[in-house]
Amino acid sequence: MADFFSSVYEIFTTETTYSNGALLAGVLAFAATGEWVAERSGTLNISVEGMLLGGAFTAALGYHVTGSVAVGLLTGMVGGMLIAGVQAEMSHRLAADQFVVGLTLNILVFGLTGFLENEIAPDSTLARKFEIPLLSEIPLVGEALFWQRWPFYILYLLIPFSWWLVYRTRWGLELRSVGENPQSADVSGIDVNKRRRQSIYYAGLTCGLGGAFFLFGHVGPFENTIVGGRGFIAIAAVIFGGWTLRGTLAGCVIFAGALSFRISIQLIGYDINSELLQALPFIVTIAGMAIFAHRVRAPAALARPFIRGLR
Amino acid sequence: MSNTELGDAGTDETNTSSVPAVRLTGITKRFGAVVACDSVNLALQRGRIHGLLGENGAGKSTLMKMLIGLVLPDSGTIAIDGTTESIHDPLTASALGIGMVHQHFSLVDALTVWENVALGDAGRLDPKATRGRIGEIAEQYGLVIDPDKRVGDLTAGLRQRVEIIKCLRRDPSIVIFDEPTSVLTPEESEQLFESLRHVVAAESRSVVLVSHKLDEVLHATDDITIMRQGKVVDQRRSVDADARTLARAMVGREVSLRSERAALGIHSLDDNGLDDNGLDGNNLDRADLDGIDLEEGATATGHTFETADSDTSNIAPDIGPTAVPVLRIGKAVVHDADGVIALDEFSLEMYPGEIVGVAGVEGNGQRALGDVLSSLLVLSSGTVTVDGAPVPTGKSGAMAKAGIGVIPEDRHDSGLVLDMTVAENLVLVDQSRAASRGLIDQKRLNAFAVEMIEQFSIACSGPNAPMWSVSGGNQQRVVLARELSQEPKILVAAQPTRGLDVGAIEYMSHRLETAAATGVAVLLISSELEEILELSHRIIVMHSGRIVGEMPRAEANFEALGLLMGGAAA
Repeated sequence: MADFFSSVYEIFTTETTYSNGALLAGVLAFAATGEWVAERSGTLNISVEGMLLGGAFTAALGYHVTGSVAVGLLTGMVGGMLIAGVQAEMSHRLAADQFVVGLTLNILVFGLTGFLENEIAPDSTLARKFEIPLLSEIPLVGEALFWQRWPFYILYLLIPFSWWLVYRTRWGLELRSVGENPQSADVSGIDVNKRRRQSIYYAGLTCGLGGAFFLFGHVGPFENTIVGGRGFIAIAAVIFGGWTLRGTLAGCVIFAGALSFRISIQLIGYDINSELLQALPFIVTIAGMAIFAHRVRAPAALARPFIRGLR
Repeated sequence: MSNTELGDAGTDETNTSSVPAVRLTGITKRFGAVVACDSVNLALQRGRIHGLLGENGAGKSTLMKMLIGLVLPDSGTIAIDGTTESIHDPLTASALGIGMVHQHFSLVDALTVWENVALGDAGRLDPKATRGRIGEIAEQYGLVIDPDKRVGDLTAGLRQRVEIIKCLRRDPSIVIFDEPTSVLTPEESEQLFESLRHVVAAESRSVVLVSHKLDEVLHATDDITIMRQGKVVDQRRSVDADARTLARAMVGREVSLRSERAALGIHSLDDNGLDDNGLDGNNLDRADLDGIDLEEGATATGHTFETADSDTSNIAPDIGPTAVPVLRIGKAVVHDADGVIALDEFSLEMYPGEIVGVAGVEGNGQRALGDVLSSLLVLSSGTVTVDGAPVPTGKSGAMAKAGIGVIPEDRHDSGLVLDMTVAENLVLVDQSRAASRGLIDQKRLNAFAVEMIEQFSIACSGPNAPMWSVSGGNQQRVVLARELSQEPKILVAAQPTRGLDVGAIEYMSHRLETAAATGVAVLLISSELEEILELSHRIIVMHSGRIVGEMPRAEANFEALGLLMGGAAA
């Protein structure tokens, strides 16, 4: 047992744990930020998984064609938004059930990228690392947060921007009202389903970026299985965070910590049942949800479709 | 009178003969087979408050929704200041200077006061300017409020204040108040009407007050339009109106239904039937032209009562001093989801074999009463006992087990599962007729269903017909068959004939009477006054979650009930 605790101590004092954690948290943060916006508008968008994977694939494709990571990030965004488009138009224009659409999309994207990967075999690579002087010298977390592959730094803009968008702009006010009380919003002259579609597109954009970041910041060559449930963890992070951006990001960090811990403990070579380890992040996620989920208030109209006249 | 009032308040002129602020001409709106508004004409003048009076479903809300672009008329024209306009969404209405203070729908609880006020505007979000504007309006109209409070934390009166500020902020020249006092205390209502006068007087705006409360319409308005079943039945100045005539015009619906039945020969009207019919027709025409004549109306009502009384199938049971109530509700208190009181120390005793009619304008606790007896609501305090044994409230199935059958208000919402078969729906409440040890016996189910289909003459292709393939009247028969087959001691019938045609209504009435004749206590909750008058032995009137009046049928009439329903003292 002492052996175990010394290993844990070792894990928490090595910088790799934090760099891994930051990478994983980064992917989750990209996805969860957009998901948070979508959920605040009233859509429980479960196609995050597909958006991440689609974004990663189109990013790889973009890089494959141009050899530029920047272009890859752009095509990743486009890929995410394409999937968002299907989700948004199906569920908030054609009034299809948002969960059925999301579920179908996740499976569809998985199949499609698997097929296209074999057909095209896009090659991609890791982006360059970029060190921010001084800040990167902070002990333990400095390197993790300020000596990353450069797409990571987009987060430092995306997160405050998203907060500003939701809380400080008219669009954000309307978006929140649509998620809380679509009938009232409608009466006030706001196009409810349009706002909801727009917020799904925003989620597609950030998830596409997240997928691209995952590719260029973490894995390098594209594989069909890379996303592996992280989209769902991002959804869990939003719920865990009580539909606040701060809480959502805290959720991302905690869940990513669990993922990173798993990797580190394997690297150290501590012998622990690997299946159990695989499950660890998800156990943390479920435990977190069980503890916090009932204490928070969801947007009142979350996951409820809006049809004028119905109440 | 109104002119002097306005003069006092500081307006220099009110010219009612000039072009009206709003003129609605021949407005018609149908929802499916229901005509919500039937060629309605209405003119609103500047500087005056126009009361739009009518029961729920009279079409007044639909009419106003067309004015603010939430509903589009099928035909007819809307002219604003003499110019014909097409109002296809709320933004257009707002641009034309039409604003509405909504009853419930327009505030978002999770947002703050200023955020709510800013909602629906265009341009950059400017918290400071919005807060400033709220302060200005507060000063101008005496509507003080803290702009940074969360709306969900405010009382109903303050929320409405936010609603009014939100509406006035855009400086509308035409303001519609939709049932503004339904959630307010009397003092709050008083304040509201005071500020309403300000709103009208200050900039000679035109105000519509939509309401079903007689008192407030009489006191707060200059002109009154009364709607019933989608039609304008009376228009007059408030000074020429009194509560009795308004009540009669608002609820006097005996005309259509009774004459329709007589025409179809369903109801056994005696020799007076034809006269009755003719008189009622006259009466209605006159009402359209110059208001209802009290004398003649009374005669007409008298006629209907005679015919109803001569119907021998509906004699009140003999309830002696030794009779034991089968249902006893003692001081029941219920709060709805918003914490508003829905039943306020409501007490009721029912005896076997009697039909008790619950009259009242919708939203005065009738639904809560039905929901309590359906085990859907928990009492905050009070008791429900059946045959002397207390029944736990809000526990699924407890009321049904105790012997209370329910014909729910909305058969699609809570009465039936449309995607299941007729047979399955027939055993939804109690599967014991068709199941043993948790397994459904198809043969027994079928046999039971066939029996019910025959007994209740349910028109369907067979026990396995999907519920949605059956017409509304027959769907209601399935509910009825299911509940009566339980052999309940008490049958709650909530709006049992809503949306049904004449024949189906007649069948339902007959069944309820038969049930009572066999000793079932029937609680008839209905917004159809004539239905209540026809079927009940005893009538109670609900207002604000309380019983405000109780009378045997023989002593009941439209006027008395109408006044009680409107909240006026008996």
